[in-house]
Amino acid sequence: MQRKLLALLTVLAVMAVACTTGDPSADTVPATDTGTETTPAETTPDTGDTETTGTTEPAVLPQDEGGILAAVQDRGQVRCGVNDVLPGFGIVDENGEYSGFDIDFCRAVAAGVLGDPEAVEFVPLTAEARFTALQGGEIDVLIRNTTWTATRDGQEGATFLHTTFYDGQGMMVPASTGFTTLEDLADATICVLQGTTTELNLTAVFNARGIPFNPMTHADNETLQPAYESGQCEAWTSDVSQLTAFKASIEEAGGEEQYIMAEVFSKEPLGPAVPDGDSAWAQAVDWSVLATITAWEFGLTSENIGSYDGDDPNILNFLGADGFDPGLGLDPEFNVRIIESVGNYQEIFERHLAPIGLELEGSPNDLWTNGGLMYSPPYR
Amino acid sequence: MTTPEPSTSRPPLWRDVRVLRVAGQVAAVVVVFLILQWLIGNLVTNYGRLNISFDFGFLNQPTQFQIANHPQFNPRSPVWRMVLVGVKNTALAGVFGIALAGVLGLIIGIGRLSQNWLAAKLSAAYVEFFRNIPPLVVIVFFAFAVFLYGPLPNLRQAIEIPLFGTGRTALILSNAEWGVPGMRSTGNLLAFGVSALVAVVAAAVVWRWRTRLNERSGEPHHRVLWSLGVLLAILVVSYVALGGPLVIDWPQLSENRRRIASGFSINSGFMSVAGALGLYTASHVAEIIRGSILAVPWGQTEASFALALTNFQRYRFVVLPQAMRIAVPPLINQALNLIKNTSLAAAVGYAEITTLTQTSIGNGRPAVQSVVILMVVYLGFSLLVSLILNIVNRRLQLVTR
Repeated sequence: MQRKLLALLTVLAVMAVACTTGDPSADTVPATDTGTETTPAETTPDTGDTETTGTTEPAVLPQDEGGILAAVQDRGQVRCGVNDVLPGFGIVDENGEYSGFDIDFCRAVAAGVLGDPEAVEFVPLTAEARFTALQGGEIDVLIRNTTWTATRDGQEGATFLHTTFYDGQGMMVPASTGFTTLEDLADATICVLQGTTTELNLTAVFNARGIPFNPMTHADNETLQPAYESGQCEAWTSDVSQLTAFKASIEEAGGEEQYIMAEVFSKEPLGPAVPDGDSAWAQAVDWSVLATITAWEFGLTSENIGSYDGDDPNILNFLGADGFDPGLGLDPEFNVRIIESVGNYQEIFERHLAPIGLELEGSPNDLWTNGGLMYSPPYR
Repeated sequence: MTTPEPSTSRPPLWRDVRVLRVAGQVAAVVVVFLILQWLIGNLVTNYGRLNISFDFGFLNQPTQFQIANHPQFNPRSPVWRMVLVGVKNTALAGVFGIALAGVLGLIIGIGRLSQNWLAAKLSAAYVEFFRNIPPLVVIVFFAFAVFLYGPLPNLRQAIEIPLFGTGRTALILSNAEWGVPGMRSTGNLLAFGVSALVAVVAAAVVWRWRTRLNERSGEPHHRVLWSLGVLLAILVVSYVALGGPLVIDWPQLSENRRRIASGFSINSGFMSVAGALGLYTASHVAEIIRGSILAVPWGQTEASFALALTNFQRYRFVVLPQAMRIAVPPLINQALNLIKNTSLAAAVGYAEITTLTQTSIGNGRPAVQSVVILMVVYLGFSLLVSLILNIVNRRLQLVTR
């Protein structure tokens, strides 16, 4: 009896000890948490290991120590979330080299912030993973044909910046079917990429007009394209820019002739996004992108920007002549670096999007002076 | 108190096995608790820093997208309804996959032990082929080989196989959807459901009665025949009495040949997932069955030879009942694996819970909360399946003497 009681008592004692030693250690978790907040100097990522601290211990986000801009300049590299399978916008060739419209804007940001268009680490992301990567601090900026919407601004912890491409959703059908309007697709099965706003727009426009339809979703375009070509679905809906690219690639490969319906049934402003709550970084990215539009407006190209000898004060400001510095935390000559390395907006467009069949002239992406939507705030 | 205190001769606390055992468990619980607290704390803190709240209010917001092959789903219904559709589709693929894997695995497992050279080698080839390929590859290959690049035309040119001599279609085959005969209610469905329940209960009662009779008098029980007879008799009588509450719904294409208007339609995504996972898991089931049969002592087989049992009788009454006792626990694992593997369906666009969750996240629903729901759903499935199979297991084990 006594032994039993003794054993019971010892067990209780051990449990009590475990609990008391357990409790303070439980408290130390939030305690160290607040510690990093009050003494940020201790955890300044001066060793370049921000990537590991950023992912495994998200409590130390770059925003806490002088912002992302400082962290990027410290690291000497911009981490840019991109698409790697979309011809024209972001694609990897057989040598592992990234190229495309969005890729060039990553390079523009690197040139603006670091003075070197090659100082980019490209992080290929799927449509579903992109915002999580941005929230988690795995990337500094997301330039991955991403549509700016209210929900994404509000719930995804992202801040969208100046639109780089005004897109809209369209519908592609084999030309031989003769379908020209959405009404021709009543009851049809329609191919759509999973996990994008495209699915929402498709549902919205067909429901608004009372047209029954059946979506067929695939996680990526590699399986969506054969599904479309084998006739599993009768039409393929996506952003017009993407459809144009796929139309070109299907026809080039000897497939059936394709027709993209004239009707565009959504607004898809594609642009860069940065994490919420760091306006210095947001402005640095924004003005790096705007530099390409301003240069276009001024008629400055990658060829002639080095040899400008006029005295338009606006252009001289833009070139950073006479030490003009708007105070964005960037090198005063960052615009020159950007235009020298990637060219102005028109050059970027012609280099990547004209080959896949997209027109700049007369499109919403034309300069405002030509009736388009590309408009940059004044650089002064 | 003249005898020496036993406790004084005991080792000190830190070397006492009994104390250490308890302390170890307490420490483990504390560690798990701390890790969980650290993880959740991280999440909540960082979400707060990014101004994102960690709540589940989005479940009441509209889904906003149409679910593939669910024309009756209203995109304006809340997200939790979408979750239910996903759960239903996961369950469907899981149930059909498990059924296929079970039947096929049993046949192939026995086939591998067959004296017939061809049967044994074919079974072995099957097992080696499927168990060495990742399930995702099997699914995508199945979708490509059978549907995308398969022999079937698209829906507008679908093959309609007529039911001989009736002018009705028995089967519609296309590369996107198949139409098979289904059931359609003409009213009185509830009453018929109740009578079906009565029939099942009656059949169970008859089963027990025949079993008891057999145990008491040794008379052959024929309980399968008796129970089935009772079941069918009640069903037929109530069916006629209720004026045919269910009729066969023959498959038919809509006028524009763009959808299957009536009958039961099965889409290619479902067939790819359930079929491919069934084939894949069957290879594992076959190995478990084979191993379990080999684990039954050879003397049992010799004894059944001595009793002049046929091959079928030997398996049915002697070998398999003993083999199943060994096989059930690893089979539970296979069933759980199959259900979890249905999450690969996103590759072929089947609207199960993971696919729908990914779509939902892509359309602005919070990722972390959605994934938490996903985890809860799979946990629920796994616990349910292991509960059912554990009951089966216990019943099998109880038979031993």
